[in-house]
Amino acid sequence: MKISNRIDADEYERALETGREQIKTTALRPWKQYEKILFRIGLIFLVAICIPNNPEWFKLVLNIDWSSLNYRDLYDIARFGSGINFLGDSFLGKSLGGYANWLITAIAAIIAGFLWTVVVRLLRKDRKEYNTLYYWLRTLVRYRAGIGIIGFGFTKVFPVQMPFPSLGMLNADFGDITAQKIYWLSVGIAPWYQIFAGVVEVGAGTLLLFRRTTTLGSVLLFAALGDIVIVNVAYSGGVHVYSSYFVLLAAFLLIADVPKIYKLFIKEEFTVPVNYYPAFSKVWQRWARIGIKTVTILIFLPLFFYLQYINWRYDPYKLPSAAGVKELRGNYTVTEFRLNDKVIPYSPLDSVRWQDVTFEKWPTLTFKVNKPLPLDLSNGGGDSQRDIDRTFEITAIAGGQRAFHYLADEVNKTLYLQDKYTPLPIARNRAAGVGGAVGPTWNVKKQNKIIYGGEDDIESEAYDQYNWIPKEALANIGNEVYKINPKAVTTRRIKEYAEPANDEVRKRMVLKYDTLDGQRIILSGTDENNDSLYILLDRIDRKYTLKESSLQPGEY
Amino acid sequence: MSLNPKNQRLIWSRFQKAVFRIVFVYFILQIIPIDWKFYRYIFSVNWRHLYYGDIFNLAHYMPQFVAGGESFADWGIVLLIATVIATIWWLTDKNKDRDFKILYYWLRVLLRFRLAVALLAYGFIKLFPMLAPYPSISNLNTSYGDFNLWKLFSLTLGIVPAYQSFLGFTEIMLALGLLYRKTASIAAFLIIIFAGNVFMSNLAYEGGEYVYCLFLLSMSFFILLFDLERIVQLLIFQKPTAPNYFKPVFNLRWQKYGRWTLKAGFILFFVIIYGFKTRNGYYYDNYQIPVTKGLPGSSGFYNVEEFILNKDTIAYSKTHPKRWSDVVFENWNTISIASNREVIIDSTNINRIYKENNNRIYELQGSAGRHYYSYEADSVNHILTLQNRNPNYKDEILVFRYENPNDSTFILAGIDQNKDSVFATLRRVDKKYLLKVIQKQKRGRKLKL
Repeated sequence: MKISNRIDADEYERALETGREQIKTTALRPWKQYEKILFRIGLIFLVAICIPNNPEWFKLVLNIDWSSLNYRDLYDIARFGSGINFLGDSFLGKSLGGYANWLITAIAAIIAGFLWTVVVRLLRKDRKEYNTLYYWLRTLVRYRAGIGIIGFGFTKVFPVQMPFPSLGMLNADFGDITAQKIYWLSVGIAPWYQIFAGVVEVGAGTLLLFRRTTTLGSVLLFAALGDIVIVNVAYSGGVHVYSSYFVLLAAFLLIADVPKIYKLFIKEEFTVPVNYYPAFSKVWQRWARIGIKTVTILIFLPLFFYLQYINWRYDPYKLPSAAGVKELRGNYTVTEFRLNDKVIPYSPLDSVRWQDVTFEKWPTLTFKVNKPLPLDLSNGGGDSQRDIDRTFEITAIAGGQRAFHYLADEVNKTLYLQDKYTPLPIARNRAAGVGGAVGPTWNVKKQNKIIYGGEDDIESEAYDQYNWIPKEALANIGNEVYKINPKAVTTRRIKEYAEPANDEVRKRMVLKYDTLDGQRIILSGTDENNDSLYILLDRIDRKYTLKESSLQPGEY
Repeated sequence: MSLNPKNQRLIWSRFQKAVFRIVFVYFILQIIPIDWKFYRYIFSVNWRHLYYGDIFNLAHYMPQFVAGGESFADWGIVLLIATVIATIWWLTDKNKDRDFKILYYWLRVLLRFRLAVALLAYGFIKLFPMLAPYPSISNLNTSYGDFNLWKLFSLTLGIVPAYQSFLGFTEIMLALGLLYRKTASIAAFLIIIFAGNVFMSNLAYEGGEYVYCLFLLSMSFFILLFDLERIVQLLIFQKPTAPNYFKPVFNLRWQKYGRWTLKAGFILFFVIIYGFKTRNGYYYDNYQIPVTKGLPGSSGFYNVEEFILNKDTIAYSKTHPKRWSDVVFENWNTISIASNREVIIDSTNINRIYKENNNRIYELQGSAGRHYYSYEADSVNHILTLQNRNPNYKDEILVFRYENPNDSTFILAGIDQNKDSVFATLRRVDKKYLLKVIQKQKRGRKLKL
């Protein structure tokens, strides 16, 4: 076997010379007409999908209290809806799996791109090339994608996006959970894997903020988010559009590299990369560049890291933030169950009797009844500050499982319980305008209609969310806002708790609890139908095969 | 090794040459079968009726010196032997300043094909989604917390066969990319991303394949190394970059034909034949599931309505140590019984392919909450003989006389593993699983279940 010739020094010089020629001929050459048209269309399309389109986003971002930041404030800045949407988000009445907005924006960009071409031709102001504008477009996309994915990734770096399953979820049968939820939980049970995924996302985002590492960042972003798109489609996860968004941006950033890679590796030719970077000749330009870059990095890396740590440590956003009554926590078997003083014996098929009671680490009581229940099939995420609206523990789980949020008057040993399920959950991800995107006003009216069968325009009266609890009990319960570590009490939390609860109609129970040794608990009081309940619970030492990770969020 | 920009010659330092000798011997020892167990397996294979599992198991080869599973200790031993051999080689070598470029080329070729075999072996059992089968009825009726991490990882993949196929397809494409010199580095780079994720999953979910997975990663890195400097030069430093000028030229006829024959043979065996066999396996003999059919019409979830133990009727109880709470009949010959009785789980968490039914224990691996029994039904005398499938309880045998007063009822009477007499009435429950209902309807709709 022979080995083909090697290149010698002269040949290298010649190749380099050819390369220099290439730079002149390819980089600074005038663009072809079709290239210019494509660029104009691409420019309009990409700019449209890189800037926020939702007034709610501006409202939220402008009202951020920078002296008392919540991780969600930065998350909101990083995550917004985009694209041309003043014609609505459906194309010919179809949502096209959520991609209609892309199509509308693309059509608008194509029309505008051609108009632009016609106009510059008529005015005889057609440019030779768009190197500078191309550079700035790439910069915009790099920052949009970088900041966006950093915002997404940090909720995994401190693993709170997918929490470890609660006792209620651990007790649910595998077949009683949706595919989406099973996928989310599968990440939740391995916090170290979630951290790895977060580091990849934040890492890819960080690489995008620098010109030289953009290719590497784009490849990582493309691969990681490409997988997430497919996962979301396969599991009906609902985040396929937002993850495709990053794949699209990454693909755009990679366009410039594909010919180089092809030339060097497939054609095995000497390759001279051409990267057009504008010179920042003026002092203010250099300062502006360094200033913007530094501020972006400081806000979205160290500051975000700290805020996300606080969130993970004291206020994991998908789980209720306050601690539950310590002596109650655990798994229970229902030894005796009396409804209006009538004993109902245990049968797994009984549709009234409670089974498998748990008290979580946080203020939630769960139990099962063998009865079909309306389900909340959302992902249970979102920006809610209030514990009762943090519904990850109930969403997408069937099997007759119910969950009640409680406020405990520990002096009189009384629990004031409210159903965590509500027919129309509150608006989620308001800034992004995605994921159960219903505004509060819409919500109230619809909810009233569903519950009272009334007219759409019934104005519900805003009411004090605690008005059903006696004043003395409320004094013992204390203010919910301050039931977490002071470091996590932010302006956002205070504001949201202060809003009147005008969108809530929930089922309620008041139960007294009594326990002598912590092994046996007696619950007695009235349920949601004002029937009297008397329940004898015996603690069971349920041994799970699934071991809880030592990495647990929250302070309970 | 570094590229001299002036003449693009590979200039190797003496140290690099010494390292290469060791690396060369090391990889040769890792990929050329030297383990006698490999040949024992080869001779046990029925080559006339080749089973896809045999190809898979052989493709999974790594030399093992230490008993009990693949471990990094084996790597240490291989490295030690490699160092010794490389030293002897160097001492006895007349040409101490030997040029290794050709050997480097051929080592890379061997590793490309070895890595491709590994990827194809896994790729096809995912393309035809067998690696993680859809959860059995018993699995659907087991609490989430009663599975171990690895089982949950596998079940999660099992509920979406299309995604599993996609992963398999990707793996096969990457393997094919390795077969061509010009695309090998690009494929190796993507394999590092893909297999890196699998490796992290193995660590995080306590899978049993992390050693093997790191082995694949080490080969990928070696393959990529050849072009790594060029990639960094072109894409990060954004400087003019010279391509690889080193390529084998096959002039003699036997070289040309030999090369094509080997390549074509490889594709024929590992892609076409293996692919076809896995496809048939998927349709007729999924290796994760026992092949024997269950009693006709019996499959389903049964509530244990009545339970009499040694003549004492025992009411429903979640805490009683012996009271059965429900029973599942699978489509194949497995019955699982849920009770409060403890289960010592089988958690080896590795994937091998077995022909024999009693080794196909995916359904109970990593799962507590239920005991799993394979059964034989004597439909003339109406006798069920149950044997516990869990290797930790393999001597347990239960014998029942059974009756079907109607389609949805089983009455069992017999003796259990403790020689207690058991009488149980099982009534089928028509369970609706949210997991299945939701896959049929749109997610936005209201649902009551």
